[in-house]
Amino acid sequence: MSNATHGLELIGLTKILGGRVIIDNLNLTVEKGEMVSLLGPSGCGKTTTLRMIAGFLIPEKGTVNVAGKDVTNLGPEKRPSAMVFQNYALWPHMTVFKNVAYPLKIRKMGKAEIEKRVHEVLEVVNLMHHKDSRPGQISGGEQQRVALARALVQEPDILLLDEPLSNLDAKLRVKVREDIRDLQRRLGITTVIVTHDQDEALSISDRIAVMNEGRIEQFSTPQDLYDQPATEYVANFIGSLNRIEGGYADGQVIPGNEVVGIRPEDVSFSKSQVAGSYPATVELVVPRGHFHEVYLKRADASLRAFVSIDVPKAGDIGFAKVSKALVYKDGKLVRTA
Amino acid sequence: MTTTNTVATKEGFAEVKAAKLSTLGFFMALPPVLVVILFVGLPIFVAFIFSIGYTGGPNRVISIIGQDIYKKDSWWGTADAYLAVVKDPRFLPDFALTMVVTFVSTLVVLTMAMGMGLYQRIKGGKVASVLSMLSLVPLFVPVVIAAYAIAQFYNGVGFMRTFMAQFGIEFPVITATRNAIIIGTIWTSLPFAILMITSGLQSVPNALIETAQDAGASFMRIVRTILIPLAFVPIVIAGTFTAIGIMGSFTVPLFLGPNQPTMLGVEISNFFTAYNRPQQSIVMAFIIFAAASGIAVLYIWANIRSAKQSGRI
Repeated sequence: MSNATHGLELIGLTKILGGRVIIDNLNLTVEKGEMVSLLGPSGCGKTTTLRMIAGFLIPEKGTVNVAGKDVTNLGPEKRPSAMVFQNYALWPHMTVFKNVAYPLKIRKMGKAEIEKRVHEVLEVVNLMHHKDSRPGQISGGEQQRVALARALVQEPDILLLDEPLSNLDAKLRVKVREDIRDLQRRLGITTVIVTHDQDEALSISDRIAVMNEGRIEQFSTPQDLYDQPATEYVANFIGSLNRIEGGYADGQVIPGNEVVGIRPEDVSFSKSQVAGSYPATVELVVPRGHFHEVYLKRADASLRAFVSIDVPKAGDIGFAKVSKALVYKDGKLVRTA
Repeated sequence: MTTTNTVATKEGFAEVKAAKLSTLGFFMALPPVLVVILFVGLPIFVAFIFSIGYTGGPNRVISIIGQDIYKKDSWWGTADAYLAVVKDPRFLPDFALTMVVTFVSTLVVLTMAMGMGLYQRIKGGKVASVLSMLSLVPLFVPVVIAAYAIAQFYNGVGFMRTFMAQFGIEFPVITATRNAIIIGTIWTSLPFAILMITSGLQSVPNALIETAQDAGASFMRIVRTILIPLAFVPIVIAGTFTAIGIMGSFTVPLFLGPNQPTMLGVEISNFFTAYNRPQQSIVMAFIIFAAASGIAVLYIWANIRSAKQSGRI
């Protein structure tokens, strides 16, 4: 039974391509106005999932509900969704204006109404000055915004973004992702974004679905994913991790059949001993810009720490303390210590 | 100091190497240019001045042998040979037939090639691959053999009439008609047009089609507004090359066409060899050349339009 309050519902979605199960019984609910990222490495099925939502692929099993409507068997032209492709897919023979106006022309809208709405949306993405330019005459970031405008002008129930920032350089990527987030919040449009970049997902999303081999490993807020990764896979994928096989007690790794995950920022080094710290030697210090990556050798384990003040030198002897550890058994989080 | 000298020396070597490569490139490009100038450009020039009455120099011998030669009567020459051709009762029907065959065949070839290209682009799969392979077969059959086969197939005692007679149907004799030329030219022109148009349509990225679908476009709208404009240059190239090829064709109309009117390619040969009127045959060739140039303008226009759209000019 679909729920009209949900922006998107994927129920038991299964997709087989070339005899291989790409998406395996996937369930996901996105609330109206929420921005959700599908995050995972290449081949985990995130783009396949997005293409099933858009209607370019029909699932073998399962249901796709958009804004309470079952659209599982509808083609992309009949769905209330709009997609922004990885390479923007702007039509090179049309001007920016014509690219954005295209979906409205199909809806047989009047000329004046088309002009009004296209101008409105071009104002929103700050591209009015380029309305008569062709895609080949504007920058990558501007092309990205045209693609976004073309999707937004359709006033879709759900906006789908397929790795929208991957073709931009690092600086522009940060700028455009902030623009997208700002726009999404202002318009309150339900949005699903596919990305393999954890920074992008963490900074832009209300919630993130971390995918692995066609399944969702964990679906939660960025903070929760970082603080309480439910599986070892998520802990490894989101942020950095010291992964040590064994058990954990009294602030140190002990023999055992579990896996201990320690975030480098949860490891501190000091010259003097404090409660819960153990003797450690600094083996290597690697500058990483605004912090240093410090490789420490303790009797129980080798640890990496991220240090931004009082940075030690290689060969220093002192004490290392672990303030938080994640303990996994059979890949699942069993406790935090 | 030593470092500076080393850099300077390296730069010097690079300059010398670039100059050598440039000279080599010039000499590599020279033979085809010379061939075109000596064996195409010069004969065209000589033929043109012959057509306007310059009968001396390299045209002296042919002027003595040929009949109905018009000599220049003013400083620039004479248009008498052109007027004679236009007034010749054979020319206009021949010209009309040439234009009709060119237009109809090109239209059919482009339509069929578009159909095949779109089927491959949208549908893909094994059937499309097999059809695509089959459509290229005419490339490997010499025109003279294909034309003879078509002539036999559709003539008075050919396969079609014999076969249909089994069912009491009298199939018309197509050989030696305008339609036979059209069938023959379609056979010979189709593979190249399919190759050009299919590759043009294949080069349109999937994402551009999917975005249009996502925007709500129907199949026909995608074809009209996305695929055809983006494959416009290959389509125009296929169209112009097909039309120019058909306009000047000889073998197919000779084997399959009627004796009168006949296409200008055949008529030029008749005027040159059978009627011994070389000046008129050259005039006809220049009239075809002028018509073909009109089509070539379309080709140039399409290229300029494409370059403008992509921001290259």
